[in-house]
Amino acid sequence: MSIQLLERDLERLESLWEEGLSDAYRSYLEAVNTYEPEAQPRLALAAALIEIGLRLQGLGARAAAAPGLLMGDLCLARSSRLLAGAAPQSVQIAFARAIEALSAAAASGSSVPAPPTRELLLRAFEAS
Amino acid sequence: MIGKRLRFESTRATEFVDITDRLREEVRRAGMRMGRLHLQSLHTTLGLAVNENEPLLLRDFQGLLERIAPAGAGYEHDDFARRMDVAMNEPVNGHAHCRQLLLTGFTTVLVEDGDLVLGTWQSVFAVELDGPRHRQLALQLDGEFEESSVSRSGRGAEAGPASQTLVELELARQLLVDPDPVAVPMRRLVEAGGKRVRPRLVQLTAGIGPRSEPLRAAALAAAVELLHNATLIHDDYVDESTHRRGQPTVVAKEGPERAVAVGDYYFAKATRLIAEIGNRDVTSTIAEALEAICASQIDDVALRGAFPGDHDSYLRVVRGKTAALFAAACASGALLSETGPEVVDALRRYGDLVGVAFQMADDMVDFSPSSGKPVGLDVRQRTLSLPLIYAAEDRTVGPEVRRLLAGELGDAEVERVTDLVISSNALDRVREEAQALVENAVHELEAIELDGLRPILISLARSAVDRTA
Repeated sequence: MSIQLLERDLERLESLWEEGLSDAYRSYLEAVNTYEPEAQPRLALAAALIEIGLRLQGLGARAAAAPGLLMGDLCLARSSRLLAGAAPQSVQIAFARAIEALSAAAASGSSVPAPPTRELLLRAFEAS
Repeated sequence: MIGKRLRFESTRATEFVDITDRLREEVRRAGMRMGRLHLQSLHTTLGLAVNENEPLLLRDFQGLLERIAPAGAGYEHDDFARRMDVAMNEPVNGHAHCRQLLLTGFTTVLVEDGDLVLGTWQSVFAVELDGPRHRQLALQLDGEFEESSVSRSGRGAEAGPASQTLVELELARQLLVDPDPVAVPMRRLVEAGGKRVRPRLVQLTAGIGPRSEPLRAAALAAAVELLHNATLIHDDYVDESTHRRGQPTVVAKEGPERAVAVGDYYFAKATRLIAEIGNRDVTSTIAEALEAICASQIDDVALRGAFPGDHDSYLRVVRGKTAALFAAACASGALLSETGPEVVDALRRYGDLVGVAFQMADDMVDFSPSSGKPVGLDVRQRTLSLPLIYAAEDRTVGPEVRRLLAGELGDAEVERVTDLVISSNALDRVREEAQALVENAVHELEAIELDGLRPILISLARSAVDRTA
């Protein structure tokens, strides 16, 4: 599988690549094959960054210590930039709504588990 | 009725600060035609006076005050041994309180035809009696206003109270539809205040180009403010801060898990609101700023190992942490109004410079007992701070500052470091540097067409440093 990401897309996040980001990226890559070829890697990476970022922060579980929170923030911000450049408006909105749903569920401490992050994000790709 | 605060920084122990032009500007901005401007000092050593601004006469007034209530004349107020609850940094200022008794703490100026009613030689002064300090005056404008500041023909309307009210309404509307577990903590933070500089920048710059739409601008401005507050919630967790804007932080009141979730929720919601506006350049501009903020937060924490750091590191972090969103606010507003790229670029540079100056001014507040914030908090939390960097470089106090910062920072050490910073020329250096940045920011505005907004942007830039509202 060829990875067509710019160096800037992974800058400061290289350490995460071997720690789950590459696996998540590959999973999402299969879901974006209906998009323009040049947009596909960035869209897949954007979704993978959200999944890994929220996990790093401990959203919905025990909150991470400061370094994990900040690295998670950077993942979310990077994802936001990638989506702004590569995703249609409807997908940008769907991704944001997915994070809103997950974080609202985490904040409420609800005993009803939120849908898995990956499921929500894969559904967000269908918003186009 | 409009109420607000007028903030300024005095520079001398006794000083007659002429605030007439600022009051005129407030009346003009508010679109007030007829009524009363009420002014009240919020300090016991700051008086008010209406008199002539003639330098020799002002020296006469100062001499009179000094003769009637000379410093060091054995005031009982200064006998700390006999007083209860004396603060650690309590100043010896019985003379200043007594002098204030000779002045007034409140005044009213009439407004007619949209201007202050003053005699030819009359000026309004805030009289500093125990400076230099950060000072605040409460201001109320009561009377008849132009029908709508937004509908005024001048482009300065984008800065008016009606425009700012739109943002407050939009913020309230957005928080109303959110689930309580996230909305309640965010509402507490938003309603506790904040300077709203970023949304103002969005609204101002959104009025420059041919497509000036106040409602879209308010939506973008509110989203930018929510984004800013989301970053603050995570910052407070990282910094272990217990209070912000006089209220408990989300992490202190609701715990770290909730703080993470609330920050994430509003991060996502703000980016969604911006995406819904439907301008890809605006979305990208804000997304890039957000990335810069997050990256510099990581750098900020990493630099705490080499506290207090150096000037270059400071600038790198502050450009991301604070200035990036100022620059993006300016650029995104201009982009929204579909103005030309050279104007967008100039405003971006203006925002960057003002953002850095704003952070420098914020750093100085940490060493000001009259700011209303706990003194020395940045020292205690080992937050990157330019006054500390300069004090650590100082030939006289530097060695002791560096030694103290290298060890545990208890109350005594924080107080000593704070005293050393104040006694050095660090604060003067920071103030001068911030003022120079503001002048550079003003310079950026000279070559572009701003359709009447230049004076307001200049005023806003200067207020970033002197904190004049």
